[in-house]
Amino acid sequence: MEKQDIMINVDNVSMRFNLGIEKGFSIKQWFVDIGKHKKKPKNEFWALKNVDFSINRGEVVGFIGSNGAGKSTLLKVVAGVMKPTKGSIEVYGNICPMIELGAGFDSQLTARENIYLNGAVMGYSKDLIDSKFDEIVEFSELKDFLDVPVQNFSSGMVARLAFSIATIVEPEILIVDEILSVGDIAFQAKSEAKMMEMIGGGTTVLFVSHSIEQIKKMCNRVIWIEHGVVQKIGGKEVCDEYKKYMKNK
Amino acid sequence: MKVINNLKYTYKKYGFLLQQLVSRDFKVKYKRSVLGIVWSLLYPILMMAVMAVVFSNVFKFSTPGVSYLAYLLIGLTYFNYFSEASNLAMSSVVANFSLINKVYIPKYIFPLSKCLFVGINFLLTLIPLYVVIIATGTGLNWWHLLLPFSFVCLFLFTVGMGFILSTISVFLRDMFYIYGIVLTIWTYLTPIMYDISIINPTLQFIMKLNPMYQFINFARSIILYGNCPTLGQFAGCAVSALVIFFLGIFIFKKKQDKFIYYV
Repeated sequence: MEKQDIMINVDNVSMRFNLGIEKGFSIKQWFVDIGKHKKKPKNEFWALKNVDFSINRGEVVGFIGSNGAGKSTLLKVVAGVMKPTKGSIEVYGNICPMIELGAGFDSQLTARENIYLNGAVMGYSKDLIDSKFDEIVEFSELKDFLDVPVQNFSSGMVARLAFSIATIVEPEILIVDEILSVGDIAFQAKSEAKMMEMIGGGTTVLFVSHSIEQIKKMCNRVIWIEHGVVQKIGGKEVCDEYKKYMKNK
Repeated sequence: MKVINNLKYTYKKYGFLLQQLVSRDFKVKYKRSVLGIVWSLLYPILMMAVMAVVFSNVFKFSTPGVSYLAYLLIGLTYFNYFSEASNLAMSSVVANFSLINKVYIPKYIFPLSKCLFVGINFLLTLIPLYVVIIATGTGLNWWHLLLPFSFVCLFLFTVGMGFILSTISVFLRDMFYIYGIVLTIWTYLTPIMYDISIINPTLQFIMKLNPMYQFINFARSIILYGNCPTLGQFAGCAVSALVIFFLGIFIFKKKQDKFIYYV
C-alpha cells in the first residue's frame, strides 16, 4: 500500500467520558463538595477503546454497531470535533462532515440567508457559494421558498436544503451519519444518486447507518464496532456476522 | 512574523464565517421590528432621558461646568457596549453547542462575533452621542481624533472578558445569574451617573482601578473638558485592556478542548 494513499489514520484511539460531569456543574454541588478533600471516584466510561485502522483514498467505509456502540463518537473524533483521550488521528485532506444536517441553520433566517450562513459554517468561501448558489437551489427544489424563514419549513425541506449545501463541493473526505433517509422517496433516490456520484468521483466516504441494505449497497469496507471496540474489519460479510450477533442478542 | 502569517491564514479561512455570524445577529435582531436599526439610535437617548430625569431632578446630581446630559451619555454608551457584548459573548459558546458538537469551528469565533456585532451597534450609538454633544453646546475639538484609542481598548477588554466569561459559563451554568448581579453592581460602582469626586478619596483610589472607569474617563476628559488625555490615562486604558485580553485568550485556549464534555 502506498503511503500517500492513506487518507485517514486512526492510531490506537481511546476516548474517555466522565459520566459524572455530563450533568454539568452547579454551584450547589460545589459547596457540597468543598469540605471533602478526596475527590469522588469518577464514573468513567470508555466510548472507544484502542481503535486502530486506516482508510485509503476512494474507499467507502461503513460503520455498523448497535446503539451507543461508539460510531458517532468515532466520527466526531475523525472530524476534529473531539480530541481523543489517548492515541492520535491523522487526516490528509479536507473533511466535510454531514453529521446531523442543518445544525448550522438559524431558523429565523430565510433559506437564502441560511445557504450563506451554513456554507460559511462548513468552511466554504463567499465566492464558492456565490458560484454554486443556483446549483444548491436547484438540487434542493426549494426555488419558490428561498425567501421564507426556515422555521416555516417542514423537516423534510430543511433536510433537503442542508443536504444540498453539504454536498455541493466535492470534499476529499465525506462523513455521513444517518442522513440518507431524508426527504420523500424521490429526494432519497436523488440524494443516493448524488452520493454515488461523489463516491465515483474518488471521494473517501465514512458512512454510518443502521440500514444494513444501504451499507451493503454502498460500502466496500465495513467496520463493526461494539462497546467501543472494533469487532471486525472486512468486506460485506461483516454485515452478516453483525446481523447474526444482533439476532442472538 | 509567524504570528502575523498565522492570523492572516486564520482570517482567510474563517473571516467569511465571522462576517456571516455578525450579519446573522443583525438580521435576527431587527427582522421583525418596524423601526429596525433606528432602535439602536433611539435606545441610548431614551435611557439617557430617563436617567437624567431621575438623577438630576430627584437625586440632584450635577457635574459643574459641563453638561450633565453629555456626561451621562458618554458613560452609558461605553458601559452599555460592555454589558451587552460581554453578556452575549458569555452565552455564545453554550448557545452554539449544537454546532460545536458537529463541525470543527474555532470556538473563539462565537464570543468574538458577538463583541463585533455589538461593536457595530456601538458605533451607531455614537450618532446620538454626537447629537447630544452638539445640542448641549459641549462643542468639538481636535482631541476627538484620539477617541478611537479608547474604543479599541474597550473592545479588547470586552473580548477578553467574553472569553473568560464564556469559558466559566460552560463549566458553571450558574454564571449566567451570577454575572447579571455582578453587572448591576458594576454599573453602580462605575461613575456613570455621578461624579467620582463626590466619593471619599480612599474609595476613589479603588474605583479608579476599574477598567471601565479608565475608558470612560479617557473619553470624558476629551469630550467634556477638551483636554488631551495624560500619559497616565493612556497607560491606564492600554494596560487594563491588554491584561484582560491576554488573560482571556490564555484561559479560553487552555480550556476549550474540554468544552465538548460539558454539552
